[in-house]
Amino acid sequence: MTGFKRMMGVSALALATVFVAGAAVAGTLDNVKARGKLIVGVKNDYVPYGYLNDKGEVVGFEVSLAKYVARELLGSEDKIELVPVIAANRIDFLTAGRIDAIFATLGVTAERAKVIDFTTEYVSAAGPSVLMAKETIISKWEELKGKSVCGIQGSYYNKKMTEEFGITLVAFKTQPEAYRALKDNRCIGFVFDDMTLQQKLKEADWTGYKIAVAPYEFQPMAGGVRKDDAEFREAVDKAIGKAEAEGKLIAWETEFGMPHSDYIAARAKAASAKKN
Amino acid sequence: MLGLDYSWLADPAYQRWLLIGVVNTLKLAALSSSAAIVIGMLGALGFTFRIFWLDALIELFVEVFRNTPPLLQMLFAYFTLSTLGLKVTDPSTGLSVPLLSAFACAAISLSLFGGALAIEAFRSGIETMPRSIVDAARSLGYGRWARFWRIEAPIATRICLPALTNILTNLFKTTSQASVITVPELMYYAGQIYNDTFRTLEVMILVLLIYVALVSMLTFAMARLEAFMAFPGYGRGL
Repeated sequence: MTGFKRMMGVSALALATVFVAGAAVAGTLDNVKARGKLIVGVKNDYVPYGYLNDKGEVVGFEVSLAKYVARELLGSEDKIELVPVIAANRIDFLTAGRIDAIFATLGVTAERAKVIDFTTEYVSAAGPSVLMAKETIISKWEELKGKSVCGIQGSYYNKKMTEEFGITLVAFKTQPEAYRALKDNRCIGFVFDDMTLQQKLKEADWTGYKIAVAPYEFQPMAGGVRKDDAEFREAVDKAIGKAEAEGKLIAWETEFGMPHSDYIAARAKAASAKKN
Repeated sequence: MLGLDYSWLADPAYQRWLLIGVVNTLKLAALSSSAAIVIGMLGALGFTFRIFWLDALIELFVEVFRNTPPLLQMLFAYFTLSTLGLKVTDPSTGLSVPLLSAFACAAISLSLFGGALAIEAFRSGIETMPRSIVDAARSLGYGRWARFWRIEAPIATRICLPALTNILTNLFKTTSQASVITVPELMYYAGQIYNDTFRTLEVMILVLLIYVALVSMLTFAMARLEAFMAFPGYGRGL
């Protein structure tokens, strides 16, 4: 019963998505101004981009960026509603009209570009790497062929892992399950987003592990807006460009404990040069 | 109208995933259904002995496995049993690894869950049987075993077939929860495919149709079995 129910639930959600998406194509900027509030989908479990601080507030690199955009559009960074999203629902939330924009570690891919529009790219994020026990001699993706590696269901790189690298992927719903399974030796490594794994290594009970296989790609990250809504996308782009020119993104890197990237520095330089 | 796009089905990787998914779903369903029927029969047989401690034991088993969500049972088997010490040393790596694979955990959990339900179904079959038949068998000189296997079991099986069909269809659909502990069955791959392609609706419609087709085959077979086994005076027998 439960399996069937869940399927029906998801189909109904998908159905609703299709209908609502048709209705709300253009005019987000007018809607936002009339409402006096920008509704943004952000992560709340992803250091440093969007997470809960000690007081239980959602903060992070992309949360600061979203607030900056709200200030540019509506005059105050408080005129914002932060909606926690996860990778599996953020695009549905956007196309269904529940949120106006995504600032939630959204990697730019051709597949996604068919469904939504991307804003200016503002971060070059490392792709997946593999966390393994320190003793391992594996250091290349090709060496993982035929090996069981833990992962997360729905990750965009899963197909590449199984089809290109020949990895036996053991994919879980959530990260804690995958970490547990790695410690239980159900898999020899955990393939996941490099930034998250780097943060994990700072924790005391993960000292026996290392990033054994480095990311094979660096992917630009951008905000997401509904397709064919140029007016809104340009307004958001302008706000992001202004934040870059003012050196805000570099300041946020510092604030949220991220290593300073050449990519963001170069973009800040280009943006401020363009302004002057 | 909805602009359904099934072009992703042309991708050989997705075709293979769906095929593996269907095969694993069928394997899991077949294994756990068979085991559930065996457990159900043994449990119901156990009840007929009317031994105090055996009754209590079977009842405890039924209560534990019928009254807990199968999802929780699978997670427990997958994550907790190995922590409690159910581990072996892998000779090739020297590492201590969990004894039960994800598939084994799912198959065992579903078998026990289905088995607990089946015990109750078979028991209801035996208990609703007219006393006169049992008395008739006894007066004809049937012993305890012969009475169970030749009289009680055949009639009880026929009486409880509709209930058993319900249990088996539910068990079949519950296999979809095994994706949570990484068993690569149909829902496991369906989720990955719609995450890759964003064709949520299309994937869901297809998977729904596959489940309807597979479960319909099961219910059709059970209906035929019911018709085949029917005898005068009971159920569909004329």
